[in-house]
Parts: sequence; structure tokens; C-alpha cells
Amino acid sequence: MAQVIADRRDVDFVLHEQFQVGDLSKHEIFAEFNKKVVDMVITEARNLAVKEILPTQKVGDEVGCKYANNEVTTPDEYKRAWDLLAEGEWMALARDPEVGGQGMPETLALAATTYFTGGNMAFMLCIGLTHGAARLIENFGTDEQKAMYLKNMYTGKWTGTMLLTEADAGSDLGALTTTAVKNSDGSYSITGNKIFISSGEHDLTENIIHPVLARIEGAPEGSRGISLFLVPKYFINDDGSLGDRNDVYCTGIEEKMGIHGSPTCSISLGSKGNCKGWLLGKENKGLSQMFLMMNEERLMVGGQSLSCASSSYLYALEFARTRVQSAALGSKDKKPATIINHPDIRRMLLTQKMYVEGMRSLVFYVANCEDRARTTESVEEKEKFANLVDILIPICKGYVSDRAVDMCSLGIQVFGGYGYTSDYPVEQLMRDVRICPIYEGTNGIQAMDLLGRKLGMKKGQLLTDLMDEIKKSVASAKEIETLRDLAEKVAGAAEMMREAAAHLGKTASDGEIQKAFAHACPFMDIVGDVTMAWMLLWRATLAGQKLEKGAKKKDRPFYEGQLKSAEFFVRSVLPVTLGRIASVTDTCGAAVEIDADAFGGK
Amino acid sequence: MEILVCVTRVPDTAENEIELNSAGNDIERDDLVYSVNEWDNYAVEEAIQIRDRVGGSVTVITVGDDESDEILRREMAMGADKGILLSDDAFEKADGQGIAAILKAAAAQGSYDLILTGAQSEGGAGEVGGMLAAMLDLPYASLVVSIEESGDNSVKVGREIEGGTIEMNEISLPCVLSIQTGINEPRYVGIRGIRKVANVDIPVQSISELGITDSDVSSSVKRLDYFVPDMGEGAEMLEGDDEEIIDKLIEMLKAKGGIK
Repeated sequence: MAQVIADRRDVDFVLHEQFQVGDLSKHEIFAEFNKKVVDMVITEARNLAVKEILPTQKVGDEVGCKYANNEVTTPDEYKRAWDLLAEGEWMALARDPEVGGQGMPETLALAATTYFTGGNMAFMLCIGLTHGAARLIENFGTDEQKAMYLKNMYTGKWTGTMLLTEADAGSDLGALTTTAVKNSDGSYSITGNKIFISSGEHDLTENIIHPVLARIEGAPEGSRGISLFLVPKYFINDDGSLGDRNDVYCTGIEEKMGIHGSPTCSISLGSKGNCKGWLLGKENKGLSQMFLMMNEERLMVGGQSLSCASSSYLYALEFARTRVQSAALGSKDKKPATIINHPDIRRMLLTQKMYVEGMRSLVFYVANCEDRARTTESVEEKEKFANLVDILIPICKGYVSDRAVDMCSLGIQVFGGYGYTSDYPVEQLMRDVRICPIYEGTNGIQAMDLLGRKLGMKKGQLLTDLMDEIKKSVASAKEIETLRDLAEKVAGAAEMMREAAAHLGKTASDGEIQKAFAHACPFMDIVGDVTMAWMLLWRATLAGQKLEKGAKKKDRPFYEGQLKSAEFFVRSVLPVTLGRIASVTDTCGAAVEIDADAFGGK
Repeated sequence: MEILVCVTRVPDTAENEIELNSAGNDIERDDLVYSVNEWDNYAVEEAIQIRDRVGGSVTVITVGDDESDEILRREMAMGADKGILLSDDAFEKADGQGIAAILKAAAAQGSYDLILTGAQSEGGAGEVGGMLAAMLDLPYASLVVSIEESGDNSVKVGREIEGGTIEMNEISLPCVLSIQTGINEPRYVGIRGIRKVANVDIPVQSISELGITDSDVSSSVKRLDYFVPDMGEGAEMLEGDDEEIIDKLIEMLKAKGGIK
């Protein structure tokens, strides 16, 4: 059987050769995580993912989660997988050991987690959300709240959610109507209805902790009057045992296109007038507190997207290597060949390969910037790494998830008709990954965040820092004769990207903000393409250096594959990127000028 | 009880395409992902469970190169107490008998009540356990699917034999047992275990330290060829989901007079 979920050689390449993640162990906070430990963590995560998590993927899709009488049941197979992850302490890899985490570098934690996510993204969503909820408590909770919740959540004893969205408050959370009224004991009575709550109810753990966005009675309208509350499913007694049931109930789950193995719940708070919650952080700061966690959540979506795209690629590759159909073009014997011999199949496979590799490098890079920001003593370096994280988060979430959908679609295409059937896993991956461009801020929001916030922050320093990093990689690549031309092309595209950014910025400030933002998504694609090109050039440079020095025979095909990925991207995708840049610079206003009636359909 | 478990590093067949090399005398090993031999995992798990019941320690041992350190560390992360790596250029050419001779030398340096091996490894010969027992002049049972400690310096051992039958034996200690899969459910390695072994030094013993010579480990078996047998005729693969396959099978059995 061929490798599944992720190519181990590529994971090792990114961790060790591109980012030297073992070197982080030179710093005291990561001292335990030397190269040997890094390898063991990846090996065991992969082992558990392949043997225990992956087998739950199809059953999660086909049996799915069931709702009845305010309760949700998950497939039986989930319980064992959950227990194994909890027993193995895989739930909160990068968090502080003091509060139940494992203290790993983010880069390593992400690499391990992408194996689990590739095993079953829907199942892992519950852990991701728990992590996010616990992070809110870790950052904004009182000492008492931290003591009450953190270890129980980070160890998988309890789970967490995020109760943000309401029927009329989705992307615009300022419009929410859930209310909070202060009680004499310091708690708040919460009343409202939330929708689209991942793992809002389930039977995997004894308690569920809901961070809830609500407006305190008398607070300002809009986003400035929103506070955050902790609403446990079961109250917690002073001794840590569970008390009475809180008045927070699931009223149904969504029938969705994919991630059937994750219950997407409607939640009613206070329908019997008895829902109690406790303020988390400061009054009226709920939304800004929640958004401090957004980088992490969005990077998680980038990791999910990568996992699905990587899985789909490896399934397609294996199929193409074994499926015999038609003789290769120009073959003399006319004997039917495996379809990997056909040019269009090779085009699709190489497209999947290069995007998966570029995505893996990008997503791991952002996690690595977070680690480097923690380990460097230099204030300037800390700021630079933070800037790189900030500007690349919308790319990790927005661009990567869009391309992951494309790559999962290509995976089906390689299979042909078989890929469209449920006999093969690629169709489920396509349905599952389709949520990634939507949740945790739609990709339209990501593009607006990039264009409207990130480019303007610190007088454009974020983009400058990104350009500086790209230039460093270009300079290294130019030292290798065979990469010089590719490096020039990447440098040229990066410069044009900067000009496009300046042009859109000027367009917006010149009073044509609607026109500028109609090009936010194409602009995000441009930044994404250039970032992919940068990552692939970086990889090719490392590969070229290894080949020049005389790589081992077993490593040569991998390194040569890196050169081909970079070449294919720069020569087949970057020219399209230049076209996108021309389009953005032209700034066609048709999309915002067209009269609403002119869309027709009435 | 002092338990020695012999383990080995093999290509992970769950995730590798196994192909013959161009010379046709071995599999192509360059690009393979390796892991601990599956049978050995069961042996280590059994050893850990026995130690946890009656006390003592579990030592894992392997013959291999530097990279074999990783499987010893892995089995220690599972719960084994000590690891020993037997490594020497001279060992590279060892066949099953040679491996048994190396292990015998190492086992003789300790004082073990129980020596476990996996029932077989990638090559499928299943020879090392039996040879090791013979060299140590110890009683031996193969294909072991249950072990129960007796109080009188012996163990009750269940062996898997033909037709799903289990044969029970009482064997005096010390002895050598080769462990069949299914005897237990090997635990997964978690972060706590990885942490525990992160900085453990695993001693390495060379041929001279073991007190043996090249001739003890030289191979007396020469592998001549590897080949994939030609596809025979007469087999028909039934396709479809389970229900469809069952229906087709019943139809065929009826047609051939197998059932009425």
C-alpha cells in the first residue's frame, strides 16, 4: 500500500531541511524537542492517524451524527479514537504543560495534527474548537476560571465550542441579539439562539463548555457592546464535580454537504429561563477578545485544507500508478499503460503535488514564525515574525482553502468516473474540504482583511517584511545556475504584486473603495500565488544545493521532484498571476457599477 | 521477572509499495518507511503486561545499524525499561542463524527469565526464535497466543495450532517464546512515553564486546533470487459491495452444486 494522508519524506523535508525545527530545542522553552523527539512525535502521530483515526472517516460520513431529543450521538467508532487521542495526550500539543498541554513548538504540533486531521477532519474539528475555547479562557479567564476549565479541556475530558453566529448575525456579529442580564451572585442569565455551532452537543465527553457572545443589558449597540461568557452544559461544583444541567440545549443539527461526522448544532440558551453564564474577560470586549484567537483558528483551517488536499493527492497518485487504461501516446507496442503515463494525468498530478508542497511549507512556515517569535531575544525579530504571521494568515486560510478545494476536485478528476462514486475517498474529501473557504471568516472576509487591514498596518511594514523574506530566498536561488531564471521570474512577480497592492490602496483612498474591494479576492490570489512561488523556489534551492553536493541515491528523486514543482509553478502558474495583476491594476468597476436589477433573474 | 524482547526494524508494509530491486535479489529499500516489526510489538506489549503483573524489568534488544535506535526508543516509549543496540559492520551479512548467534551472545551476558521474539518478521521465515532457544539450550514454544505465570518457576503457554485450536503447555523458566499477533492489543505510544525516552542513552555493543567472531555471524544461506510469481488462471475476483459479493457467491455455489 502506498502512503496515505501525507508523504512522510515531504513532512520531514519541511520540518528539518526547510525550517530546522529541531534547532528550536536550543531554546529552553523547547529544550525537550530535539530532532529525535520531533521524529518520534511525527512517527507516532502518523501511526495513530493511519491505524485509528483514518478508519473513522468513512463511518463518520456515512453514519454521521444523529440528533434526537436535544441530544446528539456520534458514531460508536469515535469513542475509541477520542480515548486514544486523550490517553496519548495528543489534544493540546503546543500548550503550556502547566495547564494540560505538551509545550511543543507550534510547527511540530501542526505537523502532527495535520496527520490526525487528514485521518478525519470532521472528527478532529471538535478538538480544534475545544482548543480555541480553552485558549480564550487561558488568555482572558480569571485564575479561578483557568483552574476550573483548562486542564479538563486540554486533556480531552471536556470539550469546548464557540457560540458566535445567529440566524441574522453571521459575518456581521455586531447584529447579534443574545442577551445577558447580571444576577446578584455575579453570574449572568443568558437568553438567545445560536446556529452553526460545531460540536455544540455530542456524547464524547461528560461536559461541554460554550464561550458565548452576548450583549449585556444596556450595553451599546453593534460590535462595541458585545461580551463573552462561559456557559457550561453542566454546572461545576466547587470540588470540580459536575452539578446540575444548565439551560443550554441543542435543538437540531444541520444536514450538510460534507463533514457529516461533525455535528453542526443549533443551540438554545435560556429557553426555560435558567441559562447561567459567567463573564470571560472584560465587559463589551467580547468581540475583540474573540478575534485575538482568530489567527490560531484560521491557521487551523489552513491545516485542515492542507490535510484534505494532501490526502486527495496521495489517493489520486496511487490510483494513477495502478489504473491501466489506453496506451501511452506515441508508444510503439500500443499496450495499455497505467494512467500516470498520460500527459493530462501527469499535469493534474504535478499540479496537486506542487500546491500540496507549497501549502505545507506555507502553513508550517507561519507556525514556525510563531515559534521563532517566542524564541528570539531580538525585539525587531519578534516584531518581524509577528508581522509575517499577520500578513500570511489570510493566505493560509483564504488562498490555501480555495486551492485545497481545487486540488480535491483534481483528485476526483484523476479517478474519472470512479472518483465521483463513494467507493473511493476522494469525493468525501471534496465535500469535507468545501467548508474551509466558508467558516472562521469566509474567504471574502479574508481578502478584505488582507487588503483593508493588513496592507495598511504599521504603514505597510507587513508587506515590506514579506518582500524582504522573498528577496532573501530569491538571492539564494540565484546562486544555483539552473534556478536563476526561475528566481528572476519570482522576484519580478513579487515586485508587481507590491505595485498592485499600492494601486488598490490608492484606488480605495481616492474614493473608489467599492471598486478596490471588488478586487480583494483576486488580489489575495496574487499574494497567494507569489507566496506559493516563493515557498517552492525556497524548496527547490534546498534541493538544488543537496543535489550539487551529491545527494544520496534514495533522496535524488525527491529533490529532483522539488525542482520540477518549482519549475512547473513558475512557468505555468506565475504567467497567469501576471494576468491577474494586470486585471487588478485595470480595476474594472463592472461588478460594483452594474445595477442590481441588471443581474436579471426577476 | 527479567524479560528480554528481541525486536527488529522492517519496512512498514502498511504504507510502502514493495518492489524488487533491479538486480532481483532483494526488495528496493531506498525509499521505504520503516517501523518496528508488527509481531515484535505484541511481544513487547506482552512483556510489559507481565512485568506490570509480577514485577521485574523489560529489556528490548535489536541487531541493526544506527537507525535501529529509533525502534528501541519507540518500544521503550511503550513501556520497556531498557534498550540494547547490537551494531557492527560484521552483522550486516548475518542471516537468521547469524542474528540468533548475535542475540544469544547478548542474552548470555544478562540473566533473563523469559526471552520473547515476534513469531516472524518481514522475511516470514520465523526462524530466529527457535534458533536462539536451541543455541541457549532453553525450552521453546512458537506461535504463542497466551502466557500465564505459574508460581513454580514456569509459565503456562497457549500455542495457536491448526484449525483454530489452542494447545496449552507448561514450560519451565527460563525459556524462549515467539509471540503471535492477537495475543494482546499493543498500546500506542503517547507523548508521555516519548518524553520519557527523549534523552535516554541506549548502549551499543559491537562484535568484540559480545565475544563472538565474524565466523559466528557469517551467512550460510545465500539468497539466489526474488521474483513475483506469474499470475495463475482459475481465480475469479468477485466485485461489488458485501451484499452483491455474497449474492454472487451463493449463485456460483448453487450453480456448481456446492449448495442446494
